[in-house]
Amino acid sequence: MRPAIAIASKDLRVELRSKEMLGAMFLFSLLIVLAFRFAFSEALDSGAADIASLASSALWICFTFAAIVGMNSSFAKEKDRETLEGLLLCPVERSTIFVGKVLSNLALVFMIDLLSILFFGLFFAYDYGGQALAVVGIALLGTLTLVTAGTLIAAMSVNSKAREVLLPILLIPLVAFSVIIPSVALTNAALSGDLSGILRDVASIAGFAVIFGAAGYLVFEYVVEG
Amino acid sequence: MDIRKLGMPTTAVSMVLILLTIPMALFYAPLPQTSVSAAGEILSYIDGYEIRVAGFVTSYSVEEPTTFGPPTQHSFLLADFVDFERYEEASSQDRLDETWWTIEPLSVTFPSGGQFASQSVSISNGTNVSVFGLLTSDADGYSLHASTQSIRVGTSSAEFEITSAPLAQKIFYFHMPAAWISYVALFVTLAFSVVYLKTRRPAHDRIAYCAAELGVLFATMAILTGPIWAKEEWGVYWRWDDTKLVTTFVLWLVYMGYIMLRTAIVDPTVRARVSAVYGILGFITVPMSLLSSRIAPLMRSSHPQVIASSSGSLSPEAGLTIGIAVVAFTFLFATMLIKRVEIAESEDELEELKRSIGGED
Repeated sequence: MRPAIAIASKDLRVELRSKEMLGAMFLFSLLIVLAFRFAFSEALDSGAADIASLASSALWICFTFAAIVGMNSSFAKEKDRETLEGLLLCPVERSTIFVGKVLSNLALVFMIDLLSILFFGLFFAYDYGGQALAVVGIALLGTLTLVTAGTLIAAMSVNSKAREVLLPILLIPLVAFSVIIPSVALTNAALSGDLSGILRDVASIAGFAVIFGAAGYLVFEYVVEG
Repeated sequence: MDIRKLGMPTTAVSMVLILLTIPMALFYAPLPQTSVSAAGEILSYIDGYEIRVAGFVTSYSVEEPTTFGPPTQHSFLLADFVDFERYEEASSQDRLDETWWTIEPLSVTFPSGGQFASQSVSISNGTNVSVFGLLTSDADGYSLHASTQSIRVGTSSAEFEITSAPLAQKIFYFHMPAAWISYVALFVTLAFSVVYLKTRRPAHDRIAYCAAELGVLFATMAILTGPIWAKEEWGVYWRWDDTKLVTTFVLWLVYMGYIMLRTAIVDPTVRARVSAVYGILGFITVPMSLLSSRIAPLMRSSHPQVIASSSGSLSPEAGLTIGIAVVAFTFLFATMLIKRVEIAESEDELEELKRSIGGED
């Protein structure tokens, strides 16, 4: 685990120095929330749409796309700066590199999630009330599964000509059922304050995190070899 | 033995069997009779061509005439049949309330005493329901006489049968084998992806790729034939609240992504390696689609379960037809796979030759 944390902290340190991706993801999530605000302004003003029911879907669209923007760069940058070879030469198992990348992506994407939750509250004048912590917790859980699958696919798509397009094409169908649908349902439940039937969705998201994690751990060396 | 020699015989077998399936599906296989017993108060009927009832009776009441009131009226609620299982579950747990149905039950009222009455209502989002006829009472309960057939409105548990959309149902004999073969094809992709990662032989990668392509083709067929039936049966082409439909669509998207991934990577060994990994990862959608209505009822499912239902909803004739159709599609798939692999081999050979004379791709 130590080497994985070292790789993750290396990624985060590079990121905090350049602030390249953080800045991009920050603006990106801000813009998605804004786009939602503009797109729904009429419906919200006329009272046709209800913010609480909009919140969970808007937040998860925001999380998913911000995660895609963030994860694309995690391998693309290494590839472009030709540091991927250096990383692969590290005297650790390839799967450790995968774990490290998942951790750094999780930290980055989760940071953006928090910002998005904040922006949403600000722009829609929405008060999460006592549910803010539950929403953050669900965001962390869903993001973990999202990032586990996304990191593996980002490592795959980095080899291709059209990597920016390919990541969402390959990722979204895989996470539609495993992350997006249950997370939106969970967030909805949390916002309505009814947490009675959530165990199934939590188990489903966590189960897929295990499946994607195990798959990534086992096959990552095939993805990056050579 | 050279597998290519099998191309001709499998082509012939699959063609013969498919030609056999068509008349069997049309003329030999009867329409499935969905039997449900113990539905409480049940509406059953004798022949379903004239009267199509897409539901079951949930409550039944007779209003006796009062001095100033209306004449005797027989009222019953018809609910959408797709909800029957949920209805039964709810009623067994004694929590039968307004929330268990997807479609508002339709209230049908008939005056009794020799008057002919007709009710024909289209349920929004559902099937057309038409009930018309003459309601009389006898010792066993009530009978609804409608032109030449009659519907029995029983007051006790009885068998209930429905048939709807007679001709559209025939598409099942092509829909289900296509869906089944797409699962088989994608399993071949999974198997050969794993084998490729072990052996690194381009031949294995080729088989994985060709099988995925055919899997997408057959899944497309299943996805396109389904709505033809659904429009007749459900009144809509697609239902987003049906897990089976949505998971199959996601499966299709995943393997379209697989094909995209392959076209986007130039280096053949990297392409083979990376797509093998995605071929393994993407297979997760196959069990999700296959077992969607049973292991993951995240949402409601009204898709008919074929493999799951052991309660004999398929008659032996229909079973034989579907068996032949599955065998026919299996041979068709084998033929297409052999041919497709041959083409892929030629393509790779051509690439190789181009490269050896220094040409561009």
